Amino acid sequence: MRGADAVIKVLAAHGVTTVFGYPGGAIMPIYDALYGSPVEHLLSRHEQGAAFAAVGYARASGKTGVCFATSGPGATNLITSLADALLDSVPLVAITGQVSTSVIGTDAFQEIDVLGMSLSCTKHSFMVTDINELIPTLYRAFEIAAEGRPGPVLVDIPKDIQIAELEYKTPLQSVADELTPTLTDLQAAAALLTQAQKPILYVGGGVGMAGAVAHLREFIAVSGIPSVATLKGLGSIAHGTKGYLGMLGMHGGKGANLAVQECDLLVVVGARFDDRVTGRLASFASNAKVLHLDIDAAELGKLRQPDVAIAAELRQVLPALTDAVKGKMAISQWQAEVEELSRKHQWNYQHPGDLIYAPAMLRRLANKLPEDSVVACDVGQHQMWVAQHMWFRRPEDHLSSAGLGTMGFGLPAAIGAQVARPDATVVTVSGDGSFMMNVQELTTIKRRKLPVKILLIDNQKLGMVKQWQQLFFEERYSETDLSDNPNFVLMASAFDIPGRTINHADQVEQALDEMLNSSGPYMLHVAIDDAFNVWPLVPPGASNSDMMDQMEKQT
Amino acid sequence: MMHNLEITVEQRPEVLERVLRVTRHRGFKVTQMQMRINDDASMAVELWVEAERAIELLSNQLIKLIDVTQCKVIPAVSLGQAANS
Repeated sequence: MRGADAVIKVLAAHGVTTVFGYPGGAIMPIYDALYGSPVEHLLSRHEQGAAFAAVGYARASGKTGVCFATSGPGATNLITSLADALLDSVPLVAITGQVSTSVIGTDAFQEIDVLGMSLSCTKHSFMVTDINELIPTLYRAFEIAAEGRPGPVLVDIPKDIQIAELEYKTPLQSVADELTPTLTDLQAAAALLTQAQKPILYVGGGVGMAGAVAHLREFIAVSGIPSVATLKGLGSIAHGTKGYLGMLGMHGGKGANLAVQECDLLVVVGARFDDRVTGRLASFASNAKVLHLDIDAAELGKLRQPDVAIAAELRQVLPALTDAVKGKMAISQWQAEVEELSRKHQWNYQHPGDLIYAPAMLRRLANKLPEDSVVACDVGQHQMWVAQHMWFRRPEDHLSSAGLGTMGFGLPAAIGAQVARPDATVVTVSGDGSFMMNVQELTTIKRRKLPVKILLIDNQKLGMVKQWQQLFFEERYSETDLSDNPNFVLMASAFDIPGRTINHADQVEQALDEMLNSSGPYMLHVAIDDAFNVWPLVPPGASNSDMMDQMEKQT
Repeated sequence: MMHNLEITVEQRPEVLERVLRVTRHRGFKVTQMQMRINDDASMAVELWVEAERAIELLSNQLIKLIDVTQCKVIPAVSLGQAANS
């Protein structure tokens, strides 16, 4: 068979049922092999959309996402999505066509050194220059993408390799050893936990990626330790869990941030002290000892020196610690303090007047979503409102570009999620700025008749940037006015997506029902006032203790 | 502060780029470098780097590279001896 046929066969062998991509000259043999094969392909209308769909597929399903692009511009268009997958640790295999080996380095048509470009935005990358290496390389790519801390892997395949003949042989697969915690480390961790009077769990995306959600919930149930989550950690802790204070950080809840500032032991689980979480690092939980649990040893001590650190599988560490602390925690006073913080800083959804208050609408949406549902959002004010005011049953149900913060993520990620979970209700919550960044993917929805719901929150502004201009740049609104937006509902209708616009608070309930009950895709365009900002907020460079919670100039 | 690293890597055309990219990005300046091909098809890369940051911030990232099989930080003491010899 040809190399191209082997590529498809390797994908099928890895249980890949759908690939997202866009054809072009240097990847034509692979598209030829795809034709009539059992591996389904969903055509995007821009390679960034294809790769984000693969990211959405991976994040909603826990499986490795796969995308195809041709050489040159096809490959460069993947770069943003690869970077997004790297910063959010998403398992992805990107396969790019390349010009033939004989002309590599001659500046051939659509030739770019994508291997060189990939070095900073992938977990690993390969260029296959020997047909005998093709199958082992692809197998290795799938292993690397999923093992340890997951991430994107790029495989660049020159055209002559795609058409070269080979005999298909399944390579011997190595099974990576699981990183196991040592008894000494577990004992040291248990000592910190049982001696703590004010411990708190700071839970990140690593828990969901490790498949350790159930283990974490058991640990919380047994230990009774209060908890907060990062943007990527949302959904790991069940909604309504006693002592769970929601998201921490720049736009976290006041209760969450104050509890963390007050704690004497910070238990970091699958998280990495991101600057949007910590505020001014030196004053982040500054009186606390730190117990850091993560699969990636490079995160331990990177930004905050831990007192005890364990680089091992959370699925092993958490049950061991659960056993170790059973009946040994004495934190009832602290639990009561946290309860009080939680009560004192509850969200207030009472918003008088006729205007639509997005936080209240999103809370309502969360309460209406069925058991099997996914929310994919974009980046900006609406993203923070989703994180603050919606709740999720699993981390796989909340797709948000956290590390890279990529506008244009939501729509293609929702497409990938809907393909991975065809029976789920998939809603993309977007803003009028972000939505236009991958708007071409409306055609992909039309093509596959995907029932993706689009909730477009429109304040005719690049809202988050506007908010910062208002607060920190003397109200000099440089290039954040979007009052010349297109007619979004009319635009959606051109892609056979029905929808409507609402702008009064009393329309919300019925409009959300109409959207959720529609059998196909739907756009609910929600016009909101541009005066609404995201609160509370930790100003840049400030400590998480100093949150602003209304419009006041910094002193 | 000066640091010395002994790195063993697999022989791949882009492996030096990978090592140097991570070194630069993580805030370390290369002041000297040596490389040789070993008999077992691996390569030995010795780096001297300068930074205010703790060397583990670099060595922990380098060892994560798939093509890096070993990354040894040579303690400052032996570094001093090497400089004197």
